[in-house]
Amino acid sequence: MVLDEKDNRNVWEKIGDYFSANSIWMKWYCTGCGAIELPPTMTSRYDMERLGMGPMATPRQADVLLITGYLSTKTLRRVIYSYEQMNSPRFIVAFGSCTINGGIYYDSYATIGRLDKYLPVDLYIAGCMPRPEVVMNGFNELIKMIKKGQAKGWKHYQENYEWYKKNQLDSLGEVIIKDEFHE
Amino acid sequence: MNSMNNTINEIKAALKPLKMETPAFRQIAVVVKPDTVHNALSYLKQKGFTQLSIVTCVDWIKESEFELVYILFSWTEGIHIQLRARIDRDKPVMVTATDIFPGAQYYEREVHEFFGVEFTGNEDAAKPLFLEIWDDLPPLRKDFDPQAYSDSKFPMRERGNEFVSEIGGHDDE
Repeated sequence: MVLDEKDNRNVWEKIGDYFSANSIWMKWYCTGCGAIELPPTMTSRYDMERLGMGPMATPRQADVLLITGYLSTKTLRRVIYSYEQMNSPRFIVAFGSCTINGGIYYDSYATIGRLDKYLPVDLYIAGCMPRPEVVMNGFNELIKMIKKGQAKGWKHYQENYEWYKKNQLDSLGEVIIKDEFHE
Repeated sequence: MNSMNNTINEIKAALKPLKMETPAFRQIAVVVKPDTVHNALSYLKQKGFTQLSIVTCVDWIKESEFELVYILFSWTEGIHIQLRARIDRDKPVMVTATDIFPGAQYYEREVHEFFGVEFTGNEDAAKPLFLEIWDDLPPLRKDFDPQAYSDSKFPMRERGNEFVSEIGGHDDE
């Protein structure tokens, strides 16, 4: 995704972005690895709440979807579901090297290669694993991006919905979740 | 140790295994013919091996055989037993163990999904368990090429000059 550097927000959008940058609710999608880095990030050691960030229980109420680690095709279907439930403005932070290029699972039959082909990623936190310092640094960067109006992944998703949908269908066959536990 | 020897002798007499060994302390490995697996399992269950820990499969592609592995545990004796049987790789069929151990259902579904072994008598064995919408060879067979599958399904990031310019073009702050 190429960022459009021009700032063409109106004044209300600027105010909205300022406030949403200072109060971020995060949904953690931690079915890959790396979830263990987040308790120290959240609790008193690094305390992400001083940045105005907090964990949220459901994607419908969250602003940020933090996707950690590798994604199997099965998980990606659920992630797409979760992402499409979220309200705009919504941001995706991809965590770990597996979301960038598949990491050590580059040749796996079950895990996808790169996440930004299926969902618009605003910020990557690289590393295997990224330590909490890096995670905090990434959140700081995300807040700056939101304030400047550069975190435009959700707009990109709306504008290029067909492209994303085509990639999702090419890789996954279908996005609809059908399994015996949900029937 | 005596009870261990007794168990070994009893199993040897009852199952008439092709091969039998004790790889570690209080562990027994038995190789039997595939058509006696069902009898062997029901014999072992009434001997006290009530826990079926796993059913899995090994692909011996050079011999063109699958080896099914059943691991059982006896809580009264504290003995693990590993029951192995080789079946034909081109027509892999095995009698289900779900009538003896109902919990074998999920293991058999897994083996069916990842190796393509048919379990006669288990109607649900062909139901998908882990993989959704799978359209290729069973993926844990040795002749399945995960790299080729991954390349065809999940495109990787193209590496070109843009990678260099991403590093060079970062002028934030």
